[in-house]
Amino acid sequence: MKKSFRAVSIVAAVAMITTGLVATSAVTNAATVLTISTDLPLQGSSFDSNDSTNKAIALYLKQINYKAGKYTVKLKIYDDATAAKGGWDDAKCAANAQAHVANKSEVAVMGTYNSGCAKIIVPILNQAPGGAMTMVSDANTNPGLTKSWNPGEPDVYYPKGIRNYARVCTTDDIQGSAAAQFAKSIGIKSVYVLNDTQTYGQGVAQAFTTEANKIGLTVLSSGAYGEGWDVKQSSYEAMFTKIAALKPDMVYIGGIFDNNGGQLIKDKVKVLGNNTVVKIMGPDGFTGYPDFNSMPEADGAYLSFAGLSTELLLKNAPNGAGAKFVKAYKKEYKKDPVGSYPIYGVAAVQVILAAIAKSNGTRKGVTNAIFSGSGITIPASQSVLGKALAISTLTGDTLAKDITIEIVKGGAETTLRAWTVK
Amino acid sequence: MKMRTKNSNAPKKGSSHKKWAIGFSIAAVVIWVFYTYIMYNLPDGPQTIFQNWLPPTTVNESLVWVICALGLNIVVGYAGLLDLGFVAFWAIGGYSAGWFMSAFFRQVNFHFLSPSDAAKQPGIHLTFWGVLIVGGIICAMFGIIIGAPTLRLKSDYLALVTLGFGEIIPQFFTNGENIGGFNLSNGTKGISPIDNVAVPGKILGPFDFSWKFSIFVFLTAVMVFVSLRLRKGRLGRAWLAIREDELAASMMGVPLMTTKLAAYAVGAFSGGVGGVAFATHVNGVFADRFNFSISIILLAMVVLGGMGNVWGVMVGALLLAWINSTGLPAFGDLVNNTFHTAINFPSYNFLLFGGALIFMMLFKREGLIPESRLKAILHEGDDTTSNVGGAH
Repeated sequence: MKKSFRAVSIVAAVAMITTGLVATSAVTNAATVLTISTDLPLQGSSFDSNDSTNKAIALYLKQINYKAGKYTVKLKIYDDATAAKGGWDDAKCAANAQAHVANKSEVAVMGTYNSGCAKIIVPILNQAPGGAMTMVSDANTNPGLTKSWNPGEPDVYYPKGIRNYARVCTTDDIQGSAAAQFAKSIGIKSVYVLNDTQTYGQGVAQAFTTEANKIGLTVLSSGAYGEGWDVKQSSYEAMFTKIAALKPDMVYIGGIFDNNGGQLIKDKVKVLGNNTVVKIMGPDGFTGYPDFNSMPEADGAYLSFAGLSTELLLKNAPNGAGAKFVKAYKKEYKKDPVGSYPIYGVAAVQVILAAIAKSNGTRKGVTNAIFSGSGITIPASQSVLGKALAISTLTGDTLAKDITIEIVKGGAETTLRAWTVK
Repeated sequence: MKMRTKNSNAPKKGSSHKKWAIGFSIAAVVIWVFYTYIMYNLPDGPQTIFQNWLPPTTVNESLVWVICALGLNIVVGYAGLLDLGFVAFWAIGGYSAGWFMSAFFRQVNFHFLSPSDAAKQPGIHLTFWGVLIVGGIICAMFGIIIGAPTLRLKSDYLALVTLGFGEIIPQFFTNGENIGGFNLSNGTKGISPIDNVAVPGKILGPFDFSWKFSIFVFLTAVMVFVSLRLRKGRLGRAWLAIREDELAASMMGVPLMTTKLAAYAVGAFSGGVGGVAFATHVNGVFADRFNFSISIILLAMVVLGGMGNVWGVMVGALLLAWINSTGLPAFGDLVNNTFHTAINFPSYNFLLFGGALIFMMLFKREGLIPESRLKAILHEGDDTTSNVGGAH
């Protein structure tokens, strides 16, 4: 009897809470207020960069007075990481995708940071009832999301047969090629390629390996994307001892710093010597991490960035919209944006806002504005990237092929030069 | 006196399960009606509250946790075999869905009752219902494989072996991209997308929550039914006997080997079913999800809810799954928005779990909804004032 009483009281309590919530007065939005969201990992070591991106976007929206054409725009922030995983979480990505669709006023998403997460979210947004919802990424560089790469890609991500995903950064195939070409230009003869076994890491390592073979560098690692480093391993000394016997001029580390990159670099320097003896080069997965830059072992490491670094952007167009924005950011938050992705986050928002202004205020309208007709082009005078930004209506990729080569010096990323892929 | 209490206890216990079962059915129907008909017709305000605090995806995800926790309950709660590596079965179940319900094995082309939208794809495509059984059986086999060498181990040593198993299997999937040139698991890139689930006359898309909910509730109900029936039968009584005193049980003629292996097999089957369900829920399977913390959370669900009591475990699983996925972040947003702070609440997840478990151990060791038998054992001698140390 006691047990059944308890069961009844639990049911009663739930019922009371439910009625209480339902009775809360309704808040209705006017149809002219639209929500855009960001979907980024806000736990783990990429927090600094992504938090900075959210801040930059909030500031940008304030600057333009929350207006896109005749619509007023609100920002909603989603976190696709969980503390338990210390980074992006597949279940959280799936749940966020559902939440984007369920939130009626939401018309477009800015994100994600990780290509793997995008591969979960994009197909769900693609099937949204009432029309596909568009996501524009500042940082997904995996080619498979928009072009033929692995078997079945990119069509597996677009079950409805229409595109709803765009990005403002360049892809790994371009970044990897640029890195290989740059390596040759500084006199590298042989390379050993490593990857962190993830979608992104393997993608960029594969592009690097392919281009290195093509331009006549000796690739000492085997396989299409070199050797994988085990993220959970506590020491890589054995691996580097094996590599040392092959005497490479450079080690290429395709992956992200979060995946035990710190230990990897430490052991590289320990076994192979510092980065002037055997050079090391990483992709943009190692950019934007103050923790990485401040490591003494990282000194002299070359990095590539899939776009123009903030530094380069200020140099190219010192009076452009981008330079002005960076100054405003510094004034507002008393420090520089972390890494170069925050500015790309704002660029992605510019694409979304331009599409909203061109649309009828629906998700379908925003998607159509980007992927049909003349598409979206942000003129150089307005673009925070310091030059015109055009999105391909066929693939959603940016038409720019900018790559920046950086070097870690004195605890900071410094721009070495821009690289145009041949 | 003692005999009388026992006799009057038996029918009461049965009827209490009946009441819980009725409660479960009513709750399931109410939730189904709410998310199918009421929620999307609510005004925006309350609807947003529900989307923030209890979105339908969270309800479905929680049910998957319940299915897995019920499986662990058989191993830990019934048979008393501490298992710290249950995530392995979740992983194997998930990969079964990845292998048999997707275009992953492009080199073959095999279709069996698969949904019509998968008809043109290469790969192995079985029906969801078939994969549930196949995944469950594969896991049961692995349950026996892990169970066999641990038969002679007890308590801490058993926990260590299961812990190892729970680490080895996910690591195997993480590195299973190139096994002598064969790609078994696609590494950390995982396998996605997975085929949609088909029910008669309909293929379920990502937004058919109510359908998915019905399926998950059905699977949960089956697991509850199996748990309860097994518990009452010969096998269940043998499990309890082993849990309470292994030596005495074997002296009384309980075959330790088959009984323990049966516990592992049934528990693992449930984990496999949960794994397949979860893969269809997130539409993919990813190796780095299956880490140690999942095993620990599952164990916490069983201990917190009440070891050995299916209803307690269910409540514990629903509660912790909700806190983990939605409750804590939503609460954090509420606090941060109200007081304009920037506290990262989800990062205190494990502090909360750990604290809750310590308090449970101090004040309510038998769990939220305890099994009457376990409660009796734990509180044996509570009323004897002379028993200072509390011999348990």
